[in-house]
Amino acid sequence: MDTNFPQNNFTVPIGPQHPALKEPGLFKFVVDGEIITGASVRLGYAHRGIEKAAEGRNWVQNLYLIERVCGICSHIHALAYCLAVEQLANIQAPPRAQAIRTLVAELERIHSHLLWMGVSAHEAGFDTLFMYAWRDREKVMDLLEGLTGNRVNYSANLLGGVKFDIGTAQAQSIREGLNFIEDRVRHYQDVVTHDEMFLQRTRGIGVMTRAQAEVMGAVGPTARASNVPRDLRTIAPYAAYSQFPVQMILDTRGDLEARFEVRLDELFESIRLIREILNALPESELTIRMPRRIPAGEAVVRLEAPRGEVFYFIKGNGTDKPERLKIRTPTICNLNSVVHLAIGHQLADAPMILAGIDPCFSCNDRMVQVSKVKDGSEHDMTWKELRQYGIDYYRQLSK
Amino acid sequence: MSTEEILSLAEQIVKSWDWATEVSRPKTNQLNVKVNVLNELLPIVVGLRVKRLGYLSAIVGVDLGPQTNEIEVLYYFCPGDAVIVLRACVPHQNGTLQSLSEIVASAEVFERELREMFGIEITGLHETEHLYLPDDWPDGIYPLRKDFEPTIISAQTEKA
Repeated sequence: MDTNFPQNNFTVPIGPQHPALKEPGLFKFVVDGEIITGASVRLGYAHRGIEKAAEGRNWVQNLYLIERVCGICSHIHALAYCLAVEQLANIQAPPRAQAIRTLVAELERIHSHLLWMGVSAHEAGFDTLFMYAWRDREKVMDLLEGLTGNRVNYSANLLGGVKFDIGTAQAQSIREGLNFIEDRVRHYQDVVTHDEMFLQRTRGIGVMTRAQAEVMGAVGPTARASNVPRDLRTIAPYAAYSQFPVQMILDTRGDLEARFEVRLDELFESIRLIREILNALPESELTIRMPRRIPAGEAVVRLEAPRGEVFYFIKGNGTDKPERLKIRTPTICNLNSVVHLAIGHQLADAPMILAGIDPCFSCNDRMVQVSKVKDGSEHDMTWKELRQYGIDYYRQLSK
Repeated sequence: MSTEEILSLAEQIVKSWDWATEVSRPKTNQLNVKVNVLNELLPIVVGLRVKRLGYLSAIVGVDLGPQTNEIEVLYYFCPGDAVIVLRACVPHQNGTLQSLSEIVASAEVFERELREMFGIEITGLHETEHLYLPDDWPDGIYPLRKDFEPTIISAQTEKA
């Protein structure tokens, strides 16, 4: 993941503390004056050895472990694990359970996209948008809490189904919550596409062409903003997505603005889908009985997490524990693109480019360094300094 | 292209290497290709890539345990709904694979992970430093192997 490091340039580290989201990772940017000429990444600051730990726990214990891979998209990990184990056991959860799983996944997508929008706005120095976005995100968290009892780590899944049903009162509160969120998202869409100051930070920045996205294997909204038709909900429907189809949102521009628009359009799509599910929730049991013994075999599950494709591989050996569990999260695919896209850009754009892919290191670990070079003292810039530098730089430009 | 068309196209490509591979269809959307001659792995990937079947989803390492002393490496190519798996076995001792990174740029991170977690030497990597494990991780200890003993690490940290 390393690109050319020419001689007599300066290396600017960003991280390992909090390079974009409040999570650890170290990025090293090599700069020639203002221009980034090289970049590399170092991960592992949140590595907890979950894949190894899973080999020592039984199928049910693992469900609770896997839910904790990520604090933002916990549901999609638990869902991927459940689908994989169900595939091994050769059973399918009942239709109502599948619909509820899909509904929670879409609520999670709304909360994750709003969280991302807030963080990116913060990196651009637009803290008002950050605070509003996060305030409105609370609404989704409340809905999830009302539904599952938890704001994060909803623990909605069981092997073979879900833990709770959705009653009429809950459905009504979700509908009301969605009306509020829909109004707000429409407002944000207007802000990110019309606010001149903000557009200066997003339009034409970090452009990734379709060819680049294909070569670097980008996934999720990052790829779709570069017109790569890769959304597993459409191309390989799972859970209840075949009964409740979603429309793939694509954009041809490939810059940060496109990534904002794709994600905001996806919010409308998620809201529409949740309403549809609530209107036509199939009647059935909530769980199906799992066999006592999970047979030996291999299962592969690919799901569309808020950040892109998440890949689960499980190998069972006929005992009560998995032989091997492999998790590949979307961030690792997209980080590769940051390292390449940052080259040629102003240092001040680095935080936005990084935030633009919506990185999630907790998922991933399973970093960027920026050194201050102008005054001749090569010291590592702190994140605060870098952020301020970005804001000052653009303030000067707009004068 | 439908899933069926993708898989039959892939099968056709792999057929050119029938002397080096064994092909099977364990599921309706999956094609298993066991690559017996490791040097042919790269050309097969080029073949898939040429026909636009080369979206690499993940590389998975599986330690097959003390009976065989081998590590199975699974390359998951996932165009659309289809899953094409290239399977290669390398020994615990001095296992070596060629890097796919010249053909598939995104392979590099997966290969670096494979290298530090399983101890498989990957030739042609641009960067060989640790990706996930700490800088001071002891040499020759690979955490995702079945014979890994976590106590070795805690004993070392206590000494330090």
